[in-house]
Amino acid sequence: MGMVRNWKVRSSRFAQNPGVLCCVFLVLLMAAPAASMEIVDRAPRVLILYPYDERIAATTEAGEAVRNRLRERTSGKIDIFSEFLDLSRFPEKTHIEKMARFLTGKYADRRPDVVVALGEESASFIVTNRNIIAPGAQILVTGFSKSTAESMRLPSDVVGVFNEYDVTKTLELARSLQPQARHLFIIGGSADFDRAWLATARSDLAGRAKNYETTYLENLTIDEFVDRAAHLPPDSIVLALTIFKDRTGRNFIPREAIKQIAATASAPFYGPYPTYLDYGIVGGNMVTFESLGLAVADLAIDAVAGKPIANVDAPQTYIADARQLKRWGLSESDLPSGTVQWFREKTLWEQHWLAVLATLAVIAAQGVVITGLLIERRRRRAAELESRVRLLELVHLNQSATAGALTASIAHELNQPLGAIRSNAEAAELLLRGVTPDLELIKQILVDIKDDDQRAGDIIARLRGLLKKRSEIDWTEFDLNDVINGAIQILRPEAEQRSIVVSSLGVTEELRVRADKVHIQQVILNLATNAMDAMLDVASTERRLVFQTRLTKESKVELSISDTGRGIPSEKLVGVFDAFYTTKPTGTGLGLPIARMIVETYAGKIWADNSPGGGAVFRFVLPLARNG
Amino acid sequence: MRPVIHIVDDDASFRTAVGRLVEASGFRVALYESGDKILAVLPNFEPGCILLDLQLPGLSGLELQQHLVEKAPLLPIIYLTGQGDIKASVMAMKAGAEDFLEKPVVGKTLLAAIERALCQYEKRHVEQDRIHSLQVRVGSLTPREAQVFDLIVRGKLNKQIAYVLGTSERTVKAHRHCVMEKLGVRSLAEAVLIAEKMGRLDPASNPSPYE
Repeated sequence: MGMVRNWKVRSSRFAQNPGVLCCVFLVLLMAAPAASMEIVDRAPRVLILYPYDERIAATTEAGEAVRNRLRERTSGKIDIFSEFLDLSRFPEKTHIEKMARFLTGKYADRRPDVVVALGEESASFIVTNRNIIAPGAQILVTGFSKSTAESMRLPSDVVGVFNEYDVTKTLELARSLQPQARHLFIIGGSADFDRAWLATARSDLAGRAKNYETTYLENLTIDEFVDRAAHLPPDSIVLALTIFKDRTGRNFIPREAIKQIAATASAPFYGPYPTYLDYGIVGGNMVTFESLGLAVADLAIDAVAGKPIANVDAPQTYIADARQLKRWGLSESDLPSGTVQWFREKTLWEQHWLAVLATLAVIAAQGVVITGLLIERRRRRAAELESRVRLLELVHLNQSATAGALTASIAHELNQPLGAIRSNAEAAELLLRGVTPDLELIKQILVDIKDDDQRAGDIIARLRGLLKKRSEIDWTEFDLNDVINGAIQILRPEAEQRSIVVSSLGVTEELRVRADKVHIQQVILNLATNAMDAMLDVASTERRLVFQTRLTKESKVELSISDTGRGIPSEKLVGVFDAFYTTKPTGTGLGLPIARMIVETYAGKIWADNSPGGGAVFRFVLPLARNG
Repeated sequence: MRPVIHIVDDDASFRTAVGRLVEASGFRVALYESGDKILAVLPNFEPGCILLDLQLPGLSGLELQQHLVEKAPLLPIIYLTGQGDIKASVMAMKAGAEDFLEKPVVGKTLLAAIERALCQYEKRHVEQDRIHSLQVRVGSLTPREAQVFDLIVRGKLNKQIAYVLGTSERTVKAHRHCVMEKLGVRSLAEAVLIAEKMGRLDPASNPSPYE
């Protein structure tokens, strides 16, 4: 704040020095400068005059902005010189004159085309010494208000960027943020500058604050300020001007005073100075030093280019302190458009974009992996389903093949009851033609016909069972003995035709198994037809097929099917279940692999062996189904 | 005397039913469940035929046929089979089966086959009687006459026969006359036919070491 104060309050010095002022007028009259400047075959030269030393942030900030903008707009084809006049520490006239002479000598061979004077002191200095330091140069000034410039009576060819502190615009910001506010408080100190400010504010606000119950907090001690501010109605807007002195005459740096008051205030504070930001105000309509620098640099560029230039007002910006917005629960979206937010906490994204990006990438990668796994799982299930369907189709093909192989014997089997029915019927017919028909015999014939019809029906049912196609496994619980007997019935005609004696031994108790009946029957048929084929070369009196069941110690149901064939070579005992392994000229080599697939589908095991008495034994075990 | 139809089938129901049909058609019937059973009662000398199931447990139909031909050569065999097994049927026919029927058989077909078989039986029976009477006649020849008979039917002249037998042509002539008388034939050709039937023309059975 001190800076702003310096830039302004020291303005009185020129006014107190009429001699200098006269010189200014003389210079003005004599040097009526050319309307445009000619710069031939060299880069334009700009001299920036800083009123103080390099530690003073306000002027340095503005100067840096000038420098950067100049370089930027000329692509570096510009010579920029800086001079720190240090007038606050060396305000003596002799110093000023020495400085003027020094600079005159220094720039004798490199006369600046434009001089940018930052602050009132610099402006006064160059206006006084322009003819010796920079004759013919365009003088540009900034860092003070137009009214100050008027009181300085700057020559008419001096062009400036002037800052106006318009408290009504700051009020506009407050109004947008607090549309429901009904009270307006204006705080100002007791110093002359403070009072002048208060007066300006009074006249500026006179027409604009009608909607508010307006109170001026003035002529108070610092403690009174703090106390009053702590008890303001919540629907209040507080405009903080300056407090260089309180009622007791105690000196303050205004922003420190404002900080103290705002700290415990019950309503939001607003102020016109950017330096108040971070000292407890929500925001205001402000001129930044940077914007001053940029504006004056633009003027310098235009001047170098020979364009006409004129005074401009410093661009004013709404600036708000994001932390204060949060403190008072004010909405960011209520800020006037173009408002710059300071101290805005970076969002998670702004602060940790790399980590966020990495996290998102990891999540996305995980998502891809998970999706991939899900797709894989679906594929796997589809594949399992497909293989299940394939197995079922394979089993059905196997069933058909078995049925085909057994058709002849089954047809023969069927012909027995059909032939009997026919003969019985014809016999009855003949008997009825007789004079005294034997009715008892005819009655018996009819009973036999019914029995034979039943027999034929059973055979067809078995054949149908053999050809039953499954699109899904039909899980049922059944007695394995029943299925063995069913299979034997199917095989018996074929076995008889081949003079094979079929016998069934084993436990008489139930062997409950949970599976698809048709599939288990198919396993038995495959093993049994294999066994029957294995006995082709054996003498017809030596052909025996034995089914034997037992319950193993592990509570599994075992069925063994043994034949009296030549057995399996020991090296082939494992390979017999491989696909396409066959010893039969007409075999497909699929009967045993299919049998194994089926048994394994029902969590069973199948293996081959040779019995000590000769011949092969095929066994399979299935888990015993537990009731309930 | 009504002919007896022997039915051999392991299927009791079928056996009974066919038996009823055949019986109702006016024949006598004998039922057997296996080949062994029928072999046990044969030979009997009543007219008839055999209905035989091709697929029998134990002794199969074809095996049984061989035994039957020996024991009861006159009884024609009709096969009944559940399946048209070409190989089996050819073998059966070669071995002398009269007919080959497929199950289920229509009554008419079966009875026609039985009729044919019985005709066959009659023929065989007549033939057997004829051969029997010829055997009796040939048996009445003296050894010397038999020698002359064997040489005559081989077309030897009386002179040759006399030379072979070491006797006179006149004696041979007398024997020749007796042979023709005993066999009841008037020409050499008839005598040759009888010799052929009796199997006396086979080179192996040639009784003459003198030729």
